[in-house]
Amino acid sequence: MRRSILLASALATTLALTACGSGEGTAGGSGDEPADDAASATAQASGSLTVWVDETREAAVEQAAAAFEDETGVDVELVQKNFEDIRADFLAQVPTGEGPDITVGAHDWLGEFTANGVVAPIELGDKAGDFIPVSVEAFTQDGQVYGLPYAIENIALIRNTELAPEAPKTFDDMIAAGEKAGTKFPFLIQSDGDKGDPYTYYPFQTSFGAPVFEQNDDGSYRPELALGGKAGEAYATWLGEQGEAGNLSTDISYDIAVEAFAKGRSPFVVGGPWMLEKFGDLDLAVDPVPAPGGQPAQPFAGVQGFYVSAQSENALLANDFLVNSMSTPQAQTALFEAGGRPPALVEAADAASEDPLVAGFREVGATAVPMPSIPEMGSVWSFWGVTEASIISGKADDPAAAWDKMVSDIEGSIG
Amino acid sequence: MSRARYQGAVTGSGTRPGAGFAVKLVLVALVDALGVFGVLAAWRAGSWGILAATVALLAAANWVYFTKRSLPLKYILPGLAFLLVYQVYVVGYTGYVAFTNYGDGHNSTKEQAVDALLVQNERRVEGSPALPLTVVESSAGDLGFAVVSGGEAEVGTADEPLAAAPGATLDGGVVTAVPGWTVLDRATVLQRQDEVTTLRVPVSADAADGSVRTQDARTGYVFQPVLVYDEAADTMTDATTGVVYTPNDEGQFASADGETLPVGWRVTVGFENFATAFGDDRYAGPFVKILAWTFAFALLSVVTTFALGMFLAMVFNDPRLRGRKVYRTLMILPYAMPGFLAALLWAGMLNTSFGVVNQVLLGGASVPWLTDPWLAKLSVLGVNLWLGFPYMFLICTGALQSLPGDVYEAARIDGAGRWRTWRSITMPLLLVATAPLLISSFAFNFNNFTLIKMLTGGGPRFDDASVPLGHTDILISMVYNVSGLDGSAPRDYGLASALSIVIFVVVGVVSAVAFRQTRKLEELS
Amino acid sequence: MTTSTQARTQGLARDPQQLRHRMPAGRWARELGWRHLVGVVAILFAVFPIVYVVSASLSSTGTLTGSNELFADVSGANYAALGATRFWTWMGNTLVIGVATALGTVLMGAAAAYAFSRFRFAGRRPGLTALLIIQMFPQMLAFVAIFLLLISLGEVVPALGLNSKLALICVYLGGALGVNTFLMYGFFNTVPRELDEAAKIDGATHAQTYWTIILRLVTPILAVVALLSFISTFGEFIIARVVLQSESNWTLAVGLYGWVSSLLEANWGLFAAGAVLSAIPVLALFLFLQKYIVGGLTAGSVKG
Repeated sequence: MRRSILLASALATTLALTACGSGEGTAGGSGDEPADDAASATAQASGSLTVWVDETREAAVEQAAAAFEDETGVDVELVQKNFEDIRADFLAQVPTGEGPDITVGAHDWLGEFTANGVVAPIELGDKAGDFIPVSVEAFTQDGQVYGLPYAIENIALIRNTELAPEAPKTFDDMIAAGEKAGTKFPFLIQSDGDKGDPYTYYPFQTSFGAPVFEQNDDGSYRPELALGGKAGEAYATWLGEQGEAGNLSTDISYDIAVEAFAKGRSPFVVGGPWMLEKFGDLDLAVDPVPAPGGQPAQPFAGVQGFYVSAQSENALLANDFLVNSMSTPQAQTALFEAGGRPPALVEAADAASEDPLVAGFREVGATAVPMPSIPEMGSVWSFWGVTEASIISGKADDPAAAWDKMVSDIEGSIG
Repeated sequence: MSRARYQGAVTGSGTRPGAGFAVKLVLVALVDALGVFGVLAAWRAGSWGILAATVALLAAANWVYFTKRSLPLKYILPGLAFLLVYQVYVVGYTGYVAFTNYGDGHNSTKEQAVDALLVQNERRVEGSPALPLTVVESSAGDLGFAVVSGGEAEVGTADEPLAAAPGATLDGGVVTAVPGWTVLDRATVLQRQDEVTTLRVPVSADAADGSVRTQDARTGYVFQPVLVYDEAADTMTDATTGVVYTPNDEGQFASADGETLPVGWRVTVGFENFATAFGDDRYAGPFVKILAWTFAFALLSVVTTFALGMFLAMVFNDPRLRGRKVYRTLMILPYAMPGFLAALLWAGMLNTSFGVVNQVLLGGASVPWLTDPWLAKLSVLGVNLWLGFPYMFLICTGALQSLPGDVYEAARIDGAGRWRTWRSITMPLLLVATAPLLISSFAFNFNNFTLIKMLTGGGPRFDDASVPLGHTDILISMVYNVSGLDGSAPRDYGLASALSIVIFVVVGVVSAVAFRQTRKLEELS
Repeated sequence: MTTSTQARTQGLARDPQQLRHRMPAGRWARELGWRHLVGVVAILFAVFPIVYVVSASLSSTGTLTGSNELFADVSGANYAALGATRFWTWMGNTLVIGVATALGTVLMGAAAAYAFSRFRFAGRRPGLTALLIIQMFPQMLAFVAIFLLLISLGEVVPALGLNSKLALICVYLGGALGVNTFLMYGFFNTVPRELDEAAKIDGATHAQTYWTIILRLVTPILAVVALLSFISTFGEFIIARVVLQSESNWTLAVGLYGWVSSLLEANWGLFAAGAVLSAIPVLALFLFLQKYIVGGLTAGSVKG
């Protein structure tokens, strides 16, 4: 075990050097490397790794890949894909043998990936303890870990401290504070036309005690709907009221919400860390989403990570790369700096939490629930948002009835 | 197109028959050379299908170009070859998929499914430690693992359980040398990584204790299989419960009481997909509405784009009009934009509260362009009009100028008014001239998935249906939903292919009939 | 509406300038003025969304859906930022693929159209219909089959496999015989057959007739088909996205789609700038070919 720690620190050195001096750190780093036997022995190793990344992660993975290339002599080829395409393409291409060795991905793809046998388990061993527990849990199915987590993301309430100096306690407090600020919108939450955005609205829903699925004791979900019943109807009624009052609107898209907040047209916006770069020089604070219902408002936690293809011909290299190169604080911090998503590795997360905004998101994230990764979730998404949108926009006259119909439609679709 | 021009062409070119033949010979020789290269490459790669296809195409090419009897084929063959390989084959393959259960849970071959099941069902023995591991090779050439367990070195292979290796050298908690074994360096390990990752070294003679495996050749863990595959009997056995799973016709392992294992493989299922396609009650109601809207959408798209295109073409067909070139160029602009971009752009512009159409053009109105059932249909048609009229404008501009002047002359003498001339002469002639293009435009719009998907996503939803379909969904987007390609259900490529074939037949028959009609029309005029 | 007739009968040769001067204002309004009016309205309809894109491309902050203040701030930042992306590589790829596909389509389509127009053979009419129909197969699922086909081809000849521009061109050429063949077929039919007969009497082979006489006479339609093929290749992204895997091989449509397909990474400004620039080659080609297009579609369509 000590050996792997030594190795990790050797990698860390190399990584850090490549990070500051582009490419010139390779030779200089080996002098004080404690595990230089590994480096020299493997200088001529053969093999190559193909990694699918999306645009925002490419640069960060490239740093880690360069260090890994220097250490092992293998060639790491990064293929840039659209994040949305990766899921379907991975499913389609892995069985043909054309897919990558490793791909970046989200934890909620796991159910589909295992059902199709396209991912291989990753043994994190004792390293599992170095990660924030929910991140590893999210990639776990049936006791096996299938992904190396690198980031946890969740939404929270972002507040413009100039317009609203204090964090609101309840939803009504927030509306009152927003109205007092005299801005165009009391608060902003994104939706997507008649498709709705149940992901962003989820904290409100959980505050009424209506989670999507029943959860087992270990945190995993079972495919039994829990969003119906009295609690769900209460949430639906609330949506209808707020839509009528004009506090919620399905016309506010992501772009519109971000731009309005950036221009100071509202003191509050519900959103994630990915929005922050658009808010430039505003003075911000990150608070929990205020609960309109009686229970805490829990957002979804989404975990991002790397999967290894079940058909990889370089499984050994792929696992080595992930477990020993991508799980270092340096690599995870580089990914954080490139994409703004809070790291999943505790050490990197602690470092990132020096930024109060990141710390704020992390604090809210502690109460978050992982997004279900069971395949049944697909059926839920396709009814959920549309129903919420039609309730908010007032198209559904009877919110509770619309909600009940949604529940029975989802049940029909799950079969 | 006069005779004078033709004569100029012939005298100007001055080619002798011999030169043409030489060119042909060189070209065919080139094709043959490439073909033979392809055949050899296919032979080496063992791709018999490609080999056969290449040989067939090569033989056809040589026959066609060296016989006197196949004059038309000499001109059609090059395009036909590409058509056969890249279009007909694709249609044929989709037809084949329609008879399989390819989709989620049946994504790959049986071999891969077995591998995946075994890999997924191997559990790390609870509480077992992480073992620093070195890959070694025995003098007999067997791969083995040397691990450090409780501070002591142990070594073993697939056949020999781990045993203490007293003389081993440890450095930094890892075995660096074992007497009688060669420690493999990293390069060799990587070269043989497939063997390394599949190697299982038993912990003891008792199989129930599990075996050591590694994923990175640095650390080993003790694992125990939950599922065991018996290759001879082709069965899976659950090691903990003893249940035996056998392969069934659906491409899954199933136990005697019908329980199946999650990962399956692709098998042919006959006409089952076609039966499923029409068997789901939940889709019965929406289907009729969607079918009607699909025809309406495709037809109206052609009619509106054609009408506007024709009108504008006639307006700008006056040579006295100044700035025609500028008008024409600006009107082509929508055609220069990729379709997906235009749809996305319009979706933003038609946003009820913030879109530029409501905010700026209509002075702050809140017209629900994309969320009201009828307005959404109107918007879809409107956007498609924007996208499609330049094409029709181009075609009509050309066709108009070619209309025979003498007919108009006759009409004028007969005292026909403008409207009458247009209705009984211009319009029919234009229709005849552009019919094949209109038919193909109809077929294109019938399957115009990109527009619907990007603009409305099919919405607004039907209030009374239990499936996620909406007022602007067309057949092809319904297929997307039914077969789960939109993520709302497990993906089923088999079903999607079957439905594609059905749609293809519908569109094909409608087009063929329409085509036949226009030929009659053509003969009449 | 019969003004085109009038134009014909009143003499095409007359200088429009002169006409304008001689025409009383009332008649000008009745015969030409309203045309300008229609033209302006049509152009507003055609161009307005594009003005919107141009505005977004010049805005340093605005998002596409959220900014209704056209040209509120003007900066070239987005255009400059394109230099840091692979935009120009994609532009190059797109031009190579577009031009190659257009040339191939014209060569093969024209040859087939000639055969269908000039020779009478068994299966001619059904063949024509089949060409029209086969293109109607819904392409939604084609990517699965194309992907597998290219994997197999790539194992034999890597240049025809995945991630090769040549392979993509070949896939596009699979559609060379299709609607475009019809367009050309109609045009070929208007070239008098007497020309062929005369050439035959002069001792020309069918190949000589085709290459030296017919093709010269139908240059306009060739230009039109080249343009149509180029434009459709330019905007195609579904198959290109599957075939071209590495970013340096992408076409503009694939690259631009990537920039906007993701909500969170919405690079609207960059995307808008890219979209504006990518429309330029198409417009340039159109301007260059306009005289052919107006003449080219002319004769061809008469006998569809």
